[in-house]
Amino acid sequence: MRCATVKGTSAVTLLDLQGLSVTIPSPAGPVRAVRSIDLRIAKGEIHGLIGESGCGKTMTGMALLGLTPAGAQVAARVFQFDGIDLSTSAAVLRGRRIALISQDPAAALNPVLTIGRQMDNVLRTHSPHSEADRRAGAVALLAATGLPDADKLMTSYPHQLSGGMQQRVVIAQALATGADFLIADEPTTALDVAVGAQVLALLRQLVADRGLTILMITHDMDVVAAVCDRATVLYAGLSVETGPASAILTCPRHPYAAALLAALPDAAPHGQRLAAIDGQIPPSTKPISGCAFAPRCPAAMTLCHTVSPPVRVQGDHLWACHLAEGAP
Amino acid sequence: MTAPLLDVHNLVVRYKPRGLFAAAAKPAVDRVSLSLPAGSTLGVVGESGSGKSSLLRAVLRLVPVESGSITLDGQDWLAAHGPALRRARHSIGFVAQNPFLSLSPRLTIAQILAEPLLARGDKPGAAMQDRIAVLLSRCGLPPDFLPRRARELSGGQAQRVAIARALALSPRLLVLDEPTSALDVSVQAQILNLLMDLKADFGLSMLFVTHNLKVVAHIADQLMVMRQGSVVESGATERIMSAAEQLYTQELMGFGRRAQKSAPTS
Ligand SMILES: Nc1ncnc2c1ncn2[C@@H]1O[C@H](COP(=O)(O)OP(=O)(O)O)[C@@H](O)[C@H]1O
Ligand SMILES: Nc1ncnc2c1ncn2[C@@H]1O[C@H](COP(=O)(O)OP(=O)(O)O)[C@@H](O)[C@H]1O
Ligand code: SF4
Ligand SMILES: [Mg+2]
Ligand SMILES: [Mg+2]
Repeated sequence: MRCATVKGTSAVTLLDLQGLSVTIPSPAGPVRAVRSIDLRIAKGEIHGLIGESGCGKTMTGMALLGLTPAGAQVAARVFQFDGIDLSTSAAVLRGRRIALISQDPAAALNPVLTIGRQMDNVLRTHSPHSEADRRAGAVALLAATGLPDADKLMTSYPHQLSGGMQQRVVIAQALATGADFLIADEPTTALDVAVGAQVLALLRQLVADRGLTILMITHDMDVVAAVCDRATVLYAGLSVETGPASAILTCPRHPYAAALLAALPDAAPHGQRLAAIDGQIPPSTKPISGCAFAPRCPAAMTLCHTVSPPVRVQGDHLWACHLAEGAP
Repeated sequence: MTAPLLDVHNLVVRYKPRGLFAAAAKPAVDRVSLSLPAGSTLGVVGESGSGKSSLLRAVLRLVPVESGSITLDGQDWLAAHGPALRRARHSIGFVAQNPFLSLSPRLTIAQILAEPLLARGDKPGAAMQDRIAVLLSRCGLPPDFLPRRARELSGGQAQRVAIARALALSPRLLVLDEPTSALDVSVQAQILNLLMDLKADFGLSMLFVTHNLKVVAHIADQLMVMRQGSVVESGATERIMSAAEQLYTQELMGFGRRAQKSAPTS
């Protein structure tokens, strides 16, 4: 065997999602934004949701928040958050236990309200405290996200802050709701590298200090390497591999995950051809027969085109492929 | 030792202040010098607002230069004007970040590729159609794309068309502004491979601007790191990637990725 098998952990499962699908009606027929995604996240974990654009990362997050587009059909075999059925309660948990950190903090904040007022709007709906106590709480939360001069910041408007500072305010707001599960959708993509690294360090620290759990949606393997404990790889609305982040980064088993890592510019010596993946993602309006990756997979066999691949299990590393040992 | 294809010396670009009484703006490009030998690739890296696009626009003569000099193929490039400037611009091809913004959605791919040839005064006809088909195939797309429109293409296919258009007039210098930043990793790899092939086949020189150090480090011979309009560090790619002198350059390299990819030994 090429890679060490990691033993399963006995951590407490916070999110258990099996067979999630999200179908959105459109003039061109139903869009299968999410075809079938399994996601199991333990308490206190940062779980990466990885994949290329259009694979269903954001829509999965929206389903967890109860924010899928009007008319969308959301279905799942299991859809449990801390023992609560999300298929009926997602909208109730949003802003109480589950909060979103999006890519664009400027859009998440209200441009005409001061930071203090926006923090108070959140705190007021969540705590019975006096105005003075809420103010102290808001300052403490802003300070907890590493914002300097949190006191002065209360009277600032979002546009007076840099993108990195705005993102910290959004995180402080999420904490103000009392949420213990954050869905961070590409939270550093719009930020400069060094600022993004600081925001990731903050999230890591909040997980340690406050026992948060984070779903880290990203297309960036550097982000996965920097902060994720475990990760799930999506392809065409399907979860194709899940396991410890380090195992997926160094020893991917699904041929798509392997191809994605091999295509990175630092995966080949300087100036040498990169291992590009030929072809394109299957259109989300078409049903898939067999393995979704078969038309592009260098290891595809005849049965891959017609028979859905079985799930392979090695310790707590799972992948869906007809190859018993995974990527060659 | 041959003269460089492009030589920029102490270049200053400053935009007009926005308000009537606003103080003079800081230069967007502040005394930048670079030298690009023929057939080589220079990667210009920096975070947003560092002046990369302004530097490119100055090289393309799209913004006024406050001071400094640009020498292109031995000629004083800032002295070129009128028809001479237009002709000389043909020796530079330009590729932008978002192909869907830079390619007209109403035109067919064939019309898009014919545009620069017609603008130069070439006669439409069989020879031009041949040239267009060769260009497109050289950029990895079969001829059945010619009658299609840009909006029907994927991001990677559209960027191939944009590169083909930039090469239509056989430029010696290709200037690229974040050409892969809107693309997925697997498609980015296709475009980087294409650029490496084109460089080898045509002896192209490239000025490749990006905020992603690792992307350009893969194909550049030399790197130049910019911050707030100035050059922080520049030199051979291997030297910068293995022993960056500036902390800022190290920061740009990312979040300390990654555990060595283990060699398959099954
Ligand atoms: N509001 C919508 N209406 C119709 N299709 C959508 C909508 N939002 C997303 N999609 C489609 O769903 C698929 C998954 O999208 P998304 O979850 O945004 O992907 P990702 O975040 O991984 O880039 C894509 O094919 C996308 O085009
Ligand atoms: N057309 C313009 N008018 C005024 N200022 C500009 C203009 N374009 C860019 N700038 C300013 O010049 C600086 C450099 O910008 P730019 O060259 O676009 O950087 P980069 O491409 O590295 O992101 C920034 O401060 C930016 O705000
Ligand atoms: S099931 Fe077949 S086509 Fe799909 S990833 Fe595995 S080998 Fe490739
Ligand atoms: Mg998304
Ligand atoms: Mg720019």
